Amino acid sequence: MNRFLGNKGAIALFTLPTLLLFTVIVFWPILQVFYRSMYEWDGLTVGQFIGLDNFARMFGDRLFYTSLYNGLIFAAVLAVLQIGIGTILALTIAGTAVKGKKFLRISYFIPVVLSVTVVCQLWLAMYNGEYGLINKIFEVLGLSYRQDWLSDGKTAIYAIAIVNAWQYMGYHFALLLASARSIPEQYLEAARIDGAERWKAHWKVTIPLMAETYKFCFVLAITGGLNAFANMYIMTSGGPGTETYTLTYMMYRSAFRVGEYGYGSASAAFLVIECLIVTFAINKLIARERIVY
Amino acid sequence: MKKALALGMTGLMLSTALAACGSGNKENQASESAPASQPASQAAGSASAGAPAEKTKLRVYAQYSDDDTKGYYDYAVKELAKEMPNVELELEIQAQDDGQKLKTYAATGNLPDIFNTGLDQINVFRKSNNILQLDEYVDKFGFKDKMQPSTLNTLYTDDQHVYAFPYAGNEFMLIFYNKELFQQNGLEVPKTFDDLKKAVDTFKGKGITPMSIFAKEKWPDVGFYDMFATRYNTGGISALDKGTAKITDPGYKEAAQNIIDLVKAGLLAKGSTNMNYDQAAALFHEGKAAMFINGQWEIEASTKALGDKAGYMYYPASDAATYEKNKFAFSGGGTPGGFAVSANTKNKDLAAEVASLLALKYAEFKYTEKGSPIVSTKVDKPVVKAFDPMMETLAKDIPNITSTTAFAWGLSNAKFKAAIEDASQNLLSGSSYTADQFIEDVAAGLK
Amino acid sequence: MLKRIRKKQPVFQLFLWVYALISLYPLVWMLFYSLKDNNEIFVTNPFGFPTHLRFENYRAAMSQFNVPQYFLNSVLVSVATVVGTIALAIMFAYSVARLRWKGKTAAQMYVVIGMFVPVQVIMIPLAILVRDFHLTNTYLSLILPYIAFNVSFASMVFYGFFRTIPNDLEESACIDGATIYQTFRIVMLPLVKPSIATMVIFVFLAAWNEFPIALMLISKETLKTLPLGLLFFQGQFTTDWGAMGAAMMIASLPTVLIYVFFSEQVEKAMTVGSAVKG
Repeated sequence: MNRFLGNKGAIALFTLPTLLLFTVIVFWPILQVFYRSMYEWDGLTVGQFIGLDNFARMFGDRLFYTSLYNGLIFAAVLAVLQIGIGTILALTIAGTAVKGKKFLRISYFIPVVLSVTVVCQLWLAMYNGEYGLINKIFEVLGLSYRQDWLSDGKTAIYAIAIVNAWQYMGYHFALLLASARSIPEQYLEAARIDGAERWKAHWKVTIPLMAETYKFCFVLAITGGLNAFANMYIMTSGGPGTETYTLTYMMYRSAFRVGEYGYGSASAAFLVIECLIVTFAINKLIARERIVY
Repeated sequence: MKKALALGMTGLMLSTALAACGSGNKENQASESAPASQPASQAAGSASAGAPAEKTKLRVYAQYSDDDTKGYYDYAVKELAKEMPNVELELEIQAQDDGQKLKTYAATGNLPDIFNTGLDQINVFRKSNNILQLDEYVDKFGFKDKMQPSTLNTLYTDDQHVYAFPYAGNEFMLIFYNKELFQQNGLEVPKTFDDLKKAVDTFKGKGITPMSIFAKEKWPDVGFYDMFATRYNTGGISALDKGTAKITDPGYKEAAQNIIDLVKAGLLAKGSTNMNYDQAAALFHEGKAAMFINGQWEIEASTKALGDKAGYMYYPASDAATYEKNKFAFSGGGTPGGFAVSANTKNKDLAAEVASLLALKYAEFKYTEKGSPIVSTKVDKPVVKAFDPMMETLAKDIPNITSTTAFAWGLSNAKFKAAIEDASQNLLSGSSYTADQFIEDVAAGLK
Repeated sequence: MLKRIRKKQPVFQLFLWVYALISLYPLVWMLFYSLKDNNEIFVTNPFGFPTHLRFENYRAAMSQFNVPQYFLNSVLVSVATVVGTIALAIMFAYSVARLRWKGKTAAQMYVVIGMFVPVQVIMIPLAILVRDFHLTNTYLSLILPYIAFNVSFASMVFYGFFRTIPNDLEESACIDGATIYQTFRIVMLPLVKPSIATMVIFVFLAAWNEFPIALMLISKETLKTLPLGLLFFQGQFTTDWGAMGAAMMIASLPTVLIYVFFSEQVEKAMTVGSAVKG
């Protein structure tokens, strides 16, 4: 068996193309980022080696902490909403007699299908302080809770995180649904219990069986949150002021608006390390043993 | 897997077929009017129908995204086809991306032959030798003589060299206002911040937005701050950029505080820092906002929407005496920028010639068709669209202008520019951002 | 098949349907949006049915740029990306998840890095790379980066699925005298079919909607993809939002159709898959 599964030729054939392509196109540029993070460099001229000065400067930069903090908020919102709602919907669709299952399943994924631009435009209209639907809903409910969702530094980052959470919930739903469906019948007793008991059973039985998928979903949601960029780029341009900056946005600002590519690379390098640590932690926290039915 | 992919392909074929049907329609349309995506080649092609086919292709990076910018480009290309039929332009549309695309092009040695650019980029490319110094061509084409004497500041950078052929001229930040709304509410045009505060209270009481500004973009925010800062130091942000004033000078903090107070009092529409031009302008054009912040190029649109109800006011100051004293110290102004040439272009002479021609034609179009005498170069063609009355007024004011500053895009220190852009937007957000924080943030950019 | 013996829970049912409506709403909104003018979009009627159906937005969108050409490019790039990504990722994931070799965990972690590198971060090095390989303004300058970026994500998904397959399948294949390649093709691939169909959708969408890399690396008119068409509308000051909406509509419809179609495949594959297993 060891020889069968340890076939060197097969391993090389299966892995080398991916490793090669990945190394050249993704990893090599990342190395450049780490290398350039130790330079004072505008991206065009020769540049000057300055060791870890960029990092020292970064750790004293208020924008860095704003960006870091926002990334963490973003990641937390994504993880809770996407995986939470995704789980509820996936387990229900997988196990319950619901009418129109197919329609529901397709609907939940529709926001994923649309481009970020479309979704951001929609939510810009929703959040609008004057004409926005969200404020209208509060009005209709009789709550005098009008908010400038995206112009208020305190709410803006949450408001943007919700947009991303909403758009990509379908991803997690689809992955979790596929995972739930590949669990053999006999383990799905939980789905047949009613009410609160059912969710308890899911928690004890079904969800642990889906650990591999959950691991993946958490990595996706959290790293996606930490390096968020497109949503704030379209919706707030990092504003008001610098309130919705993330590390990626900080990199973008330094490299392109300010012309400090080296300094921008430092924040990018930090981001990559941060994501690596998180991924590693998730892998450690969620049981590693192989699940065999 | 194969089957799934095969099925997928069928689906794709189907949708392609659908698109093909659409393309039929499009070709019909195309015969009526040339598709806008190839304005350059089309126009140039028709002009030189009989000429020998030896055309030099030049890549041009310019704005081409709305009726306004398309008008300029199409006009310039049409004129170019007449004067230089041997050239064919290949347009690349300028992206609204903080220069990321141009910088990436520069980093890969792939800059377009001719590109539209501003001062901060000129400074970067000048250091990295990506931009062609145009001095010899300025002499050769007699470009300096074609400039208006008052706009030479848009030709030469601080090292006394030319890197771009300018066309925009010295533009200004203006506070536009709706005269009718002020009259109806018994309000005088504000001269002091107290007057302005009173106007804010009155308008708010009537459910009218006192002022609209598209503060999602950051340059109007900087311009707005500059209008206040110039009431204390007529050099405004420009003085900071050049290092002739310090951000710790008391006026800069007071200006920030004035803005904070007015915003707290309800000067701006809800969510202003998240409004684009279309949203903010709609408020003013429909009489829902009493004042509007934009450059003087807004005159055309505002006049179209509000007729003679629209006007501009001089910037209010802390007291009437300062108001009078600094009345003609305007915010805004021209800085070097315009059509530049890549240092690596294969056709240096030709590209420079085309760049200078594009600049001249842009100015010409602005003057003759867009109702604006504010251009860098002299225009001797007759005006097609008459100047709006408000523009006439401004034209009378221009000789009296005592000083100008710069728009955000005209700041030479990119780090300072980014810092003041972010900080100015924060001032307008109505959050707990303080004047001290503002000063601190801008100071960090000046370090 | 699951036995459906559950009682109905009205509150929960309601939640499912309300959420579905919230998810579908953007399609309707986008359709309305694409038939309005700026004033209606921002001020007078941001959410309702257009007061006047402005089909001219579609005409404007179609005439701004070469829609069929861009469309074709998008199809070509996206399909090539899907085929390449899935082929590479599935082989890689199989090897890492089930074959026995040293360093496979490290290899897996290594490729995962691709998941959390925003493209903006490596844009300039990537552009330089594309130039050095003489790929500037070719389809490959998009396809190869797209595959490289998506392979991390795809292989991680496949990895998860491969790990849930019982060991004895390979054992019996081995005893039957099959080679490892045959085992992979005949035994393993059918088992992960549902995830393949899922990944076809995911990767296709990622490639179809990708904007930043295409913006940076493609300047030739004949190679541009649909998302680049949006550039024709976003001006420095004003934007023709209605026409932009129409362009977005044109760009989005195919993805919706492809999604609906492939999710059917996912369903079918699931049914077959669970029959094999159950």
